[in-house]
Amino acid sequence: MIQQKFWKKLFVVCITIAWTISSCKEENKRMPEDYEVASAWADMTNYITKNTPANTPTFASRCFGYIGLTMFESVVNDSAAVYQSVAGQLNGLGNLPVPEKGVAYNWALALNAGQAEILRNIYIQTSDKNKNKIDSLEQSFETVLKNKTPDGEVVKRSILYGKKIAQLIFEWSKTDGGHRGYLSNFDKKLVMPKRPGCWQPPLYAQSFSHYPLHPHWGNNRTFLAVDSAIDAPACIPFDTTPGSAYYNQFKQVYEKRKVLTQEEKEAAIWWSDDPDVTFTPPGHSYYLATIVIRKTKPGLVKCAETYARVGMAVADAFRNCWKWKYQFFTERANTYVTEHMDPEWQSFWPDPPFPAFPSGHAIQAAAAATVLTDLYGENFAFIDSAHVGRTRDDIRNADFKARHFNSFWQVAEETAMSRFYGGIHIPQDNERGLEKGKIIANNINRLHWKK
Amino acid sequence: MRHCLTILLVSIFFFIDKSICQTHFTDVTAPSGIKHVFKVYEGMFGGGACVIDFNKDGYEDVYITGGVNDDVLYKNNGNGTFTNVFEQSGMTVTKNFVTQGVTGADVNHDGFVDLFVTTITRRDKKEVIPRAINLFFLNNGNGTFRDATKEYGLDQLFSFSTSASFGDFNADGWPDLYVGNYFNEYKGKLSVINDNTVVEANQIAKGNLFLNENGKKFKDVYSDYGLDFRGFGWGGIFTDFDNDGDQDLFVNHDFGYKRTPDLLLENHYPRQDFTDVAKEKGMDLKINSMSTAVGDYNNDGLMDYYITNIWFNYFMVNQGPGKPFVNKVKELGMQFFSISWGANFADFDNDGDVDLFVANGDLNPNCVPMANYYFENLGGKFEDHARAIGLADYGIGRGSVVFDYDNDGDLDLLEVNQEPVVTDYPVPSVTKLFRNDSTSGHWIKISLNGIDAESHGIGSKIEVEAGGKKMIREIDGGASSIFSQSSVIAHFGLGNATKIDKITVYWTGGNKQIISNVSTNQLLTITEIPGKKSHFFIYLLIGLAAAAVAGFIYLKKRKTV
Repeated sequence: MIQQKFWKKLFVVCITIAWTISSCKEENKRMPEDYEVASAWADMTNYITKNTPANTPTFASRCFGYIGLTMFESVVNDSAAVYQSVAGQLNGLGNLPVPEKGVAYNWALALNAGQAEILRNIYIQTSDKNKNKIDSLEQSFETVLKNKTPDGEVVKRSILYGKKIAQLIFEWSKTDGGHRGYLSNFDKKLVMPKRPGCWQPPLYAQSFSHYPLHPHWGNNRTFLAVDSAIDAPACIPFDTTPGSAYYNQFKQVYEKRKVLTQEEKEAAIWWSDDPDVTFTPPGHSYYLATIVIRKTKPGLVKCAETYARVGMAVADAFRNCWKWKYQFFTERANTYVTEHMDPEWQSFWPDPPFPAFPSGHAIQAAAAATVLTDLYGENFAFIDSAHVGRTRDDIRNADFKARHFNSFWQVAEETAMSRFYGGIHIPQDNERGLEKGKIIANNINRLHWKK
Repeated sequence: MRHCLTILLVSIFFFIDKSICQTHFTDVTAPSGIKHVFKVYEGMFGGGACVIDFNKDGYEDVYITGGVNDDVLYKNNGNGTFTNVFEQSGMTVTKNFVTQGVTGADVNHDGFVDLFVTTITRRDKKEVIPRAINLFFLNNGNGTFRDATKEYGLDQLFSFSTSASFGDFNADGWPDLYVGNYFNEYKGKLSVINDNTVVEANQIAKGNLFLNENGKKFKDVYSDYGLDFRGFGWGGIFTDFDNDGDQDLFVNHDFGYKRTPDLLLENHYPRQDFTDVAKEKGMDLKINSMSTAVGDYNNDGLMDYYITNIWFNYFMVNQGPGKPFVNKVKELGMQFFSISWGANFADFDNDGDVDLFVANGDLNPNCVPMANYYFENLGGKFEDHARAIGLADYGIGRGSVVFDYDNDGDLDLLEVNQEPVVTDYPVPSVTKLFRNDSTSGHWIKISLNGIDAESHGIGSKIEVEAGGKKMIREIDGGASSIFSQSSVIAHFGLGNATKIDKITVYWTGGNKQIISNVSTNQLLTITEIPGKKSHFFIYLLIGLAAAAVAGFIYLKKRKTV
């Protein structure tokens, strides 16, 4: 009698366990929405960006360009009636292979294979642990997505297509001047210009390098030929006379430091996006694209278009920005203010290791905001919680608090202003950065994405 | 009226002359035969000296690292000149390495000081990722050394090392070693170099805490002692900040505002671990912390710490048990901006309080000349007299050491300078020896002869009471000035006091020795009277017995209730 009861109980327990396991499995196997596949890969891209040592905003921006473009080109034929490849419109990529006519593809599988392939190749320098993460994301999507496509031939064909697109784009990337750029972050043979107002290696520094970052990045190929032809911004000439336009630029930074509000301090640390501990400033823009995508849940091709536009916009923005930075080679407030206003002055945020004009934060934020506005409209309210949960910044006595925005341009402006609050950019760095970022992004927007 | 004015002016000049120019330093680099400059491999790293009487002739010699240049071992000839005996020293293997810092202790307790030289990479072949072993040389006792790196288990650690310091954290008389590392280290050679290893190379590093195993081997006990920190390490100093008789460790980290701040590792001897109390003690400095000078500037019996930095240095004044340190650099009149590296507390003017020398120098290849500081202790305030007394050298300063090379009772100074990477540096930047020509003030120098403790008393403390003052020194184990180690002979300025009332030696290991009524202006050697080694166990037994009795009584009481 007792024994019977025991077996009964055991039976119930076993059934319960089995059911739990199977339902868990069931849960795992839930077919992901298209936007979920796309944004999961954007998350992975930002994870790799953040967790690969010696990464820089320049190198990262370029990667976002190629990764985003790969995503678009691997799925564009999912909506061939509306969209078209932009490959032929880019700076020397040429047309990419078109899918076979009259046969089926699983485009999410193509995206999955393409993203894994481009990430592994373009971030070849990342750790084996990170490469395993890429592999397992690819594997897990492949497993679920296969269920939707019982035809093994379709699966094979889709994966091959995505991979092929990634490989061709990666081959093209090798010739842009930034390939394996992490091996030459600093050129120790660089002869730096020596004229009044020149950039000086920082003393309150973000990096131990006393050479400026990627001095030749401005010679790299742009994604769009037309972006390379944009005129240089106008820069106020050096002047030490109190009251002069140049002097007043720094005076503003100097005065602002005294009256920084808590909110401004929070903005300054939020947008710092230090490449040593975060996904870099262009990564923040890629992340904003993800916020929009998770909120609006668009179709596969629009998701990919969003990442492609944001990626290429920030890449060309950084390339142009770096060309101008080394053309003008201007100083930071920590140099000018201490020499001409207050020898004890120090910026709120440490100096990055490169010249100031124009601001890289501003130009890439404006570029990203301009493409996102074109795609999703001017008024778009959302919460940015990229850095929520990070340990409080004790040195600057400020917390990482989620930020609310009503438009993308508001983000761009705050990103730019945050560098002014940080004391590492003067107003003209930000203003010219925002202007030029907009022009670059408009060129991206003008590509013939649709038929 | 006019007459009065003249008198006033004359007396002012006289006064100024007397107050400012009591101490004067003479640059004797050339006449002393010292010809040295540290040449960087790349960037800002390196340049130190170690004061060592390697041949025990009573005249202190000095070993100086050369970076890409050869190191030198300057034998003190006793007549004010030095001879470089490096080629015959048995240490020429250092020529294969880019040396950085140097520090010494009697590791095997044979009475002769052995040397530890830190390196960052090899000179004889190009390493894609700059790393190399550090080098350890045993003193043969006959004026030469032999390479004992492998014998002491140090030949498999490929590191990018900065400053090293000897101390005795387990108080067993065998000097232990802390080595600061700037970039991450490799155990064994890197077999594969690819894009990943290259980008991983410039990450923050662990320090090495080497326990000296009976003078025969070093064992890295960093994690065994509960440490798991990584930072851009410039090294650390062993010092007893809390006066509990054991040696704690203060670690300097570069870029503390971005990465790991400075650490104050409290030693829990006899328990075998350290805990970081930097935060609660206000010592978790988030700065470009380079090195630490140790000294009790106000003679209150508590060690104070001057930490060099980029921009403004920090003077962390000890407030006693339970209270955090307070940065008094501004309050004490030392708020000047510069890029500082080495620093030394010493009573240069023999007036009974410690003054402070600070070696300044730009971040080569940046080459803006900047003068050193000489902060004269005016009691409650410091004043920079570097220019007036002849120490305002504009070379690219790094490590600095103090010692009495001419045995005249005042402390001289040697500063290691780097060769400028630029060709248009406006002044010579070479290693300098400055002779102290001060004439006033009594003094005493005390040389320790450790029996249980390290043979020169490294890590021990000496307290001198004279003229109503109580002054204290810790025997320097290295890294007290970046990459460098000053004399192990303690020097005390005594002012007008003609007699020392009392000298107390607190040996590492716990022995305490008192000597009374000592005359001034002499070099005194104090030999340790070995203690009974079983002290600790006796106390432990007594403690256990007491606990047993108490427990017994308690239990009995409980029963009766």
